[in-house]
Amino acid sequence: MIKYVLRRIAGWCFMIFLATNLTYFLANAFLKPRVNFQLRRPPLPDDQIDRLLDEHNLNDKIPIIERWWTWLTDIVTRWDWGTSVDGLVVNTEIANRMWVSAQLVLGATILSTVIGIALGVYTAARQYKWQDRIAQQTSVVTLNIPAPVMAAAVVAIAIAINEKVGSRIFFVAGAQSIGVQGFWPKLVDSLQHLVLPTVALTVIGYAGFHFLQRSLLLDNINADYVRTARAKGLPLSKAIRKHALRTSIIPVATTVAFQIPGIFTGAVITETIFAWEGIGRYFTTTIAKNDVHGAVAIAAFSALLTAIGAILSDVLIAALDPRVRVS
Amino acid sequence: MTEPNTPETVEVLTEDLLADPAAPEVPSNPRKSTSSSKSKLYIKRFLRNYSAVVGVVIFLLIALFSVFGQYLTPYGYEEVDFFNLQVPPGTEGHIFGTNGVGNDLFAGLAHGIQRSLVIGLAVSLVTTLIAAVVGSIAAYVGGIVERIILEVIHFLLVVPSFLILAMVSNSVGGDWRMLIVVLIIFGWMFYARVVWTTALSIREREFVSAARYMGLGPFTVVWRHIIPNIGSLLTIHFTLGVVSTIQGETGLSFLGFGVKQPDLSLGTLISDGMGTLYSAPWMFWIPAITLTLLTVSMAFIADGLRDALDPNSTAGGHA
Repeated sequence: MIKYVLRRIAGWCFMIFLATNLTYFLANAFLKPRVNFQLRRPPLPDDQIDRLLDEHNLNDKIPIIERWWTWLTDIVTRWDWGTSVDGLVVNTEIANRMWVSAQLVLGATILSTVIGIALGVYTAARQYKWQDRIAQQTSVVTLNIPAPVMAAAVVAIAIAINEKVGSRIFFVAGAQSIGVQGFWPKLVDSLQHLVLPTVALTVIGYAGFHFLQRSLLLDNINADYVRTARAKGLPLSKAIRKHALRTSIIPVATTVAFQIPGIFTGAVITETIFAWEGIGRYFTTTIAKNDVHGAVAIAAFSALLTAIGAILSDVLIAALDPRVRVS
Repeated sequence: MTEPNTPETVEVLTEDLLADPAAPEVPSNPRKSTSSSKSKLYIKRFLRNYSAVVGVVIFLLIALFSVFGQYLTPYGYEEVDFFNLQVPPGTEGHIFGTNGVGNDLFAGLAHGIQRSLVIGLAVSLVTTLIAAVVGSIAAYVGGIVERIILEVIHFLLVVPSFLILAMVSNSVGGDWRMLIVVLIIFGWMFYARVVWTTALSIREREFVSAARYMGLGPFTVVWRHIIPNIGSLLTIHFTLGVVSTIQGETGLSFLGFGVKQPDLSLGTLISDGMGTLYSAPWMFWIPAITLTLLTVSMAFIADGLRDALDPNSTAGGHA
């Protein structure tokens, strides 16, 4: 098992390395940091622009291979992912923003998984009854609401509630208020900020798990071993919980692991609308401001998350499913 | 889940094998009758699904609006009406009102839907085709080709495609044709993997071996025998692909990396409307609701297609 996991980790590390380097070359081809300086008013002389770009290893007059080598050795030897044209250090940006995004992504992932699985089990047990039909139609609708529309709807509802109550229960912008002191006030404050984007992400995200869990459970619910359990006198709910769900929850668990990176980048629009300074916002700023190193670091970060998700899902399968043998 | 042995498919398949490969363009009569009764069955099963029918109606209405909407208003989407800045719907012939610079929303909406829809349809069509061919070839040929294709797919799945998409489409300056190309390049991998898993089981079927023993090359076998058998899967993929492409395109345009000024799509309309969410709410909600109707109706169509094309499906009775 350990050998198998180690081999997988080695394979994924190689993949991450390749993907990050490919993104480096692509980012250099498509993002033009020189433009940032050329647009300055009053205009800067060319040699000064060159000097400023050289400082950040972003000068497009130096051969790309040379810049790439400097970039790579900096990472390998000092774990320094470079700076943006404005001099922002990529390492600190990623480190700070990671936790802001994590608050959002973790809560939304857990909520949508739990809701999705619960709904999947509930509807599978009532296949083609009215509860199933209504849940099915609702989930098709929520799954396909575009993220900006969903976020705006949540904001509109929250503001209506705020006005009705007459105080600010929900905050529609930012991750926290400035100047809040003490542990409990801080916790309450961040919860007030967290609720809306989490709701927006969860409403869009749960339906995938609902459909998956429902169809997997339906595959198992009529299996021989479940019928045997029923024949021995087990009530349906218990037969589902103890026998059918056990086998059908495995693929769902592995999908959750696989979806973590997707949710991280999928939160881009939500973070933009709710003005959360997380990885998603960083993503848009790096591209809009021609920040080559920042964009590459995000690529590496999301490739790393994909790898972690994939390895986790493999380990989960091996651990949960007695039919799978790794060798 | 895909295409088990229904009487209809078996019939078609045997006729495929018996048909003279030299003259495929002359359809034999019995085949024609089977396929028409088959499509009748599909239509019957599809019509039974009310939400899918409603989806088709809504989708057709939106599509018709995108084509003919521009003729129903005297204003063009690029025109600026200085006398009517940010007026609510129904003022002086501006059916859906105008934005802060006086662009007519009705004309803009028709153009925006058209743009988003064309991008969605084109990208989904091409990616489905690429995925079908690449996935089936990987499954059918096997060996080193399969390993290479799978490694490439795996690698492209690790590459943060949304980031690269945003980067590339941002630098091509908002040309919708380039956006289509870029979306295709990064859109086919996931489907190809799904097709590959399905085609693996079809590869083992007798009619594929029979075709091979008759001396057909791999491309002919894939094109004539494997791809038609995953047709239902591909149809559903195509419909869902339109939804996901429209979502992706509007997402990119919303962030400012997709379609750009002076052109517009549903994404840019929503993003512009977001800025005036309180002073001119119609500028946001009208395109937002249209976009939601579009994606949701397509999803319902896909749902109905799945029920109609899947012979194992018993949703809503038997046929």
